[in-house]
Amino acid sequence: MAEGQETLEKSPLSSLEKSVEDEERRALLIPDFSDLPSIPRSAVESNFVRYYAVDFLKPAHDQYIYRHANGLCVIGLAPSHAALNEVGGVQSVDFNVGKSNRSELKVTGKRKRNAQHLQPDSALCYVCADGTYYTVRCCVKGSLLEVNDRLIKNPELLNLAADREGYIAIIMPKPTDWLKVKDSFLSYEDYTKLRHQVSGSSASNVC
Amino acid sequence: MADDARSIFSRAALSLPPSHVSLDLLSSGVCVRCIFRLFGIHGDFYSCPFLTGPGLNYFLKLQNGCQASISENGHGSFGIHKCSYTSEESDFDQKYCSICLGILQFPHDLYLGEGSSKENFSIDVFVEKIVESIKIANHQIDGFFLEVSIPPVIAANERSFWSYMKKKYDSEAWFKNKALYNQISLKDALRLSITESLEKTLSVKSGANSFHICLAYTNSEASLSLKNSLRKVQSSNRRRTEKENVVKVVDQCGNGQLDSREQLCSKSDAAILKELSSLDDHTFCDIFELPPKKASNSCKLMITCYRMPMFIGGRYLKFSRKVSQTLWIIDDERMGEASVEEIVGTPALEICRGDSYKFHAAGREDIDVRMLGSGRPFLVEVSNARCLPSMVDVVQMAVKINNSEKKYVMVRNLKVVGSEAWNLMRVGEAEKQKQYAALVWISRPLTDEDLQSISSVNNMEISQSTPIRVLHRRSPLERKRIIHWMKIEKIVGSSQFFLLHLCTQAGTYIKEFVHGDLGRTFPSIGSLLACRAEILQLDVTDVKMDVFI
Ligand SMILES: [Zn+2]
Repeated sequence: MAEGQETLEKSPLSSLEKSVEDEERRALLIPDFSDLPSIPRSAVESNFVRYYAVDFLKPAHDQYIYRHANGLCVIGLAPSHAALNEVGGVQSVDFNVGKSNRSELKVTGKRKRNAQHLQPDSALCYVCADGTYYTVRCCVKGSLLEVNDRLIKNPELLNLAADREGYIAIIMPKPTDWLKVKDSFLSYEDYTKLRHQVSGSSASNVC
Repeated sequence: MADDARSIFSRAALSLPPSHVSLDLLSSGVCVRCIFRLFGIHGDFYSCPFLTGPGLNYFLKLQNGCQASISENGHGSFGIHKCSYTSEESDFDQKYCSICLGILQFPHDLYLGEGSSKENFSIDVFVEKIVESIKIANHQIDGFFLEVSIPPVIAANERSFWSYMKKKYDSEAWFKNKALYNQISLKDALRLSITESLEKTLSVKSGANSFHICLAYTNSEASLSLKNSLRKVQSSNRRRTEKENVVKVVDQCGNGQLDSREQLCSKSDAAILKELSSLDDHTFCDIFELPPKKASNSCKLMITCYRMPMFIGGRYLKFSRKVSQTLWIIDDERMGEASVEEIVGTPALEICRGDSYKFHAAGREDIDVRMLGSGRPFLVEVSNARCLPSMVDVVQMAVKINNSEKKYVMVRNLKVVGSEAWNLMRVGEAEKQKQYAALVWISRPLTDEDLQSISSVNNMEISQSTPIRVLHRRSPLERKRIIHWMKIEKIVGSSQFFLLHLCTQAGTYIKEFVHGDLGRTFPSIGSLLACRAEILQLDVTDVKMDVFI
């Protein structure tokens, strides 16, 4: 018992040592400067592998497919997409693609009920730039989990940050479908070589 | 011995129905303890070792003998006990009670197997046997709770017994007061019979203890025949309701014979009891023998014991970004170097000498997020603990964890707690606030206005769509969350890196609140400061909850 009481007092986190502990915690929080990069990798760069579909069905219809480690794919317009390079950029986005309005179906539950099953050439939306309508395609076969309906009210997001807040949709492909289509896309390196684009994340964040 | 038995029988006789009824029951093969309990005899009779059929028979015979000698001159009640006498010899060849199937008779062959002396019935030996199996399991005990399970056929036997009584004695005066008989259940009668002796032998008291001694009685033969009887009712019901399809039904029964045996065996006891109680008296008397038929097979007894789950609770701190909260395995490969679950659970299992453990925590953090400050409340649930760890044991366990070489995890306020702590932790989880420190980078230099605008935040509501990183396994939802307060701590020598201290409602995804998750969390640090914001590190600095402080 005497031994037990001794260990009780020696307990490493007793209240007497609280202030010491607080200081130690502060020391833990302050990073070591030598470890910090001058510009850190963005969340998009570190969480996704970036793929590109260039001239998808039509010339200069370049799209990106950002694949997360969990298998989900974020679809959007690559910087070299014709619509982004028109004078005045994208002016409107319409998710009403004939048979269905992509922004109306609400997917629910862990099992993603109501998700539309789309083909690579299924239309996600139309973007209008300088009077021309461009069809944005799915690029991968899979379930449509969500579209970025903020683009309807704020199409400017596409001109400011097409690779972030201006994304078009999120698709969940089956692993086997992904493996089949994956090699038809360009890697980030091959894409920048081909299009001479530097697809750095845009500096502003407008919502 | 004879005097003891006589005094018990004469005291009990005051509560028993007239002796011709008891004799009738004895000759039907009902044991003394069942007669006692069905007529509501309470008290310490049950533990008495002399409660044997021949004993009660002898006693009643004596009593009746007196009555007979009195009545010989007058009324003709002779026939009744005459009848009892003649059937006596053959009746006691039957070893097991026709109602409890021997459970209240404590026959030795219940556990000694075939070939043991047939005449041995004893509570002491029974208790010894229980104590033996507990010793083998090697439990440290401070009391016990007696858990009894009996085959459903007992309920049928009891009902058959009362139906028989009603049929035969309804007209007799004593039976009108039947309602007075506050019968004792077989389980309680069993407890009354052995508890005192068990307490004495184990030197601990019985009660609502977390150490359970389980006596599980089964009788496969009787259960099977009960199920067959019930099946007869079912098929006759079906025949009644589907008269036009008689041929078909019969056919089905024929086909069903093979698998119905299995099917019925898997049916739970509760379902059988329910079915049994749903039978009306007429149907019941139709399919069951009155009184219950004599038992040639005793029940089989399984004695087991176990400790109800034990809980060791406290708070943990996690200092490593390579240690997950729970063991995390993908494709047979461990993610991270270790887990809090194992670091805390393994020593808990050791000091309790349990079978296994489960780890519960109030909320969770990602593997790359450290848990600092006051720590996160957790519970380790140890099943079937052989040891009851003392305060000293628990403190030593904490010291061992806290002084480990790698220092991945530390624990504080470690103690043995009741199972109610589990609920406390779950209830508190939704209401608690959490405090974080995030290392943030923004795409332009930090200004004094930024410091002000951030620190002016007071219970700001944000809207957060299920983050993309978990969207594959969680429901797509938009949730409102509260950011209670924020504070920027500048880092000397850097204009774009800073520490963001923030306190949020539980369930807020902090990483997404910083970088905005493609605009899916709004507002975010990026949108508030109108620039790109990235998060490099995250630490939980406080979990505000009133448990295990
Ligand atoms: Zn009995």
